Amino acid sequence: MRLFTTFTKTLLATLILFTAFQNMAFADGGFPVRPGRLLISPSVSYFFANSEWDSTGVKKPFPNAGKYNSVGVTLYAEYGISRKWAAVVSLPYVYNNYSQSIDPKSTNTSGLSDMETGIRYYLANIDYIYYFSLQGTAITPLYHDNPALGYGEEGAELKLAMSGSGYIGDKSIYFNASDGLRQYFGANGPWQDRYSGTFGLTLDENFKNQVSISATGIISQSDDKQFSPIVEANKDYNFFELSLSYGHTFTDQISLFATAGKFITGYNTSDGTIFSLAFVYRLDYR
Amino acid sequence: MNDATNRVKNMMKNLFNSILIISSLLSGFAGIDRANAQSAKGDSVVTQLDPHSSNGLFSSHASYTFNVKSTFDYPEVGKLSYLVTTEAGKKVRADSIHIKLGAKSSGSYNFEIPGVPPGFYKINFMINVTDYDDTTIRSFGVKPDKLRSPHAKPADFESFWHDAKSDLAKVKPEYKITPVPDTTKFNRKVFKVEMKSLGGLTVTGFLSEPNLNNRKFAVLLALPGYQVTLGPMSGPDPDMAIFTLNIRGSGYSKGKIDERKESWIILSLEDKNKYILRGAIMDCVRAVDFIYTRKELRQDNIIAAGGSLGGLLALATSSVDKRISFCSAANPIMCDVRNLVHEVDWPLIDIRKYVATRPDLTMDKAFDNLDYFDGKNFASDLECPTLVGMGMLDNIAPPDHVYIAYNEIKAPKHIIIFRDLGHAVARSYNVYEGRWMRDTFALF
Repeated sequence: MRLFTTFTKTLLATLILFTAFQNMAFADGGFPVRPGRLLISPSVSYFFANSEWDSTGVKKPFPNAGKYNSVGVTLYAEYGISRKWAAVVSLPYVYNNYSQSIDPKSTNTSGLSDMETGIRYYLANIDYIYYFSLQGTAITPLYHDNPALGYGEEGAELKLAMSGSGYIGDKSIYFNASDGLRQYFGANGPWQDRYSGTFGLTLDENFKNQVSISATGIISQSDDKQFSPIVEANKDYNFFELSLSYGHTFTDQISLFATAGKFITGYNTSDGTIFSLAFVYRLDYR
Repeated sequence: MNDATNRVKNMMKNLFNSILIISSLLSGFAGIDRANAQSAKGDSVVTQLDPHSSNGLFSSHASYTFNVKSTFDYPEVGKLSYLVTTEAGKKVRADSIHIKLGAKSSGSYNFEIPGVPPGFYKINFMINVTDYDDTTIRSFGVKPDKLRSPHAKPADFESFWHDAKSDLAKVKPEYKITPVPDTTKFNRKVFKVEMKSLGGLTVTGFLSEPNLNNRKFAVLLALPGYQVTLGPMSGPDPDMAIFTLNIRGSGYSKGKIDERKESWIILSLEDKNKYILRGAIMDCVRAVDFIYTRKELRQDNIIAAGGSLGGLLALATSSVDKRISFCSAANPIMCDVRNLVHEVDWPLIDIRKYVATRPDLTMDKAFDNLDYFDGKNFASDLECPTLVGMGMLDNIAPPDHVYIAYNEIKAPKHIIIFRDLGHAVARSYNVYEGRWMRDTFALF
């Protein structure tokens, strides 16, 4: 009878298989997008700065007690066209305010800024743990002659991303790492290296709650060395930001992410603090 | 000078003790074998075998390190030896060395086993010293990709199964679907499914699917081990439906066939067209027929999975029914059946007994029939991605047999070998299975 006990054990071991893996909330990473899945992520962010790193990397307050506030609302979406291909779009709207102690005491700007449309290709995986994707993105300004909203130049980006998931002890973990090279095509249009890394940890076995830490940065190079407290206007700068996120999954379709971030260092850029709230809706059409 | 020598000796001893402690802590991961004997005073001899391969496979010669530690306060003298045999027990290599462990000391001994042809072997390491005798049994493989069976597939193998499916098609399924409550916390929709299969027998399965409307689900066709009763399977996965099948004569499908457990495998062995496995495999095909009737199930995303007999059924069903899109066979039994002689007790012991009671049946005739149910013969017809799991110490599905079946697979394939397991796979197999299946079905 021991033989049959062994068989039973073997069978049961084989049938525990699928409960361990479930989608965690990934967006804009190296993981492929499920065919027929539409992921919509409306988000709102608040950016604040009252100091800057100058062109020598020295940190100092904005002149005349200046303060920069920006509220952004972004609609991000990605859609799995097929097993290998996904379409990506990002549509941002910003409201910027710069205030200082001298006239003009307050300057406001608002409007749609740079729309990004892209296509992502699932390159490969290693043992179904590490996934690689390549994404091409077109940058299209949705405004004219408004440096407070952006360069007003067309641009293009090529981004390589890698994502992975696994376990540390009994906790599920994931990570994303990406690096994108972007070129704006106008006069003094900067070259940019946009990098990002995220490490996430689920807090419960049902993937309901998770925390993550991200490091992001931009190295932007241009012959135009001017500095403006309005971040969108600078062309030659760099910064490095750390952020913490908490994510909660309400249902298989709906998640919410709250993020707080801080610029750690930079050059020719504002010392920014960012808070954001992003909803993620997943809709399957296949 | 003596002081310096003693210091070096003490340092080496401490280093080795540290290594032993670290190795012991890691043993859960590395599968290192340890044994110890204790005297009444609490002194002991501890042994530890370290294969120089994480999965037990070697490209040329096998190599091992045997570590011994003694805490006795007098020398331990004796012999350390190894014996390599084929899976069938035929001696291949043997060697021994004399060892002398000083009081409260340790030793580390390397063994190289050269000149072994491709195949899988058992290796016994034996230590016989003053206060301790012990044998550590392991297995290893050399160039397993070279392994092939000398026994060919029957020429009419495919037509045999084509005919079996034709016979099944003549049987109206008469599906009877009854909702049953989900007793788990996952609140899934569960149905008991009864259906007519080959020979008009009724077989029973359970469909469990997420309680989500307007969704379509990939399907796990879960196939049973030997004489296992399969009830509904549940879980939190919102993408997967699970259909658990009880094949004829098993669990909820006993019905007209209600034999002793040992007898199931030899039922009607004398006639390949009536043999129990022909009907059982057609029961699995009927389950696929059922899956095809359900509009909420993705017919292009069906994984057939099982262990032991379930592993054989997964190989067989995926081979004869191309509607299966992913196959996972853990420890499949009855691969390269003719070579099982001298390697396994079961099921040959029951087959021999049966042959002895049947004047019209010989072992040759039994093997002629079993060729149509041999896992390796199904393997060569597989077209879907296939994952195979194997335990190096498996005495029911021996590693050389499983690997021969694996070598026959021409479709995308992967094998996970568990060096220190018998008739079982570890959780890492299931994790890999889930990841590969999700990638194949694009369930990102």
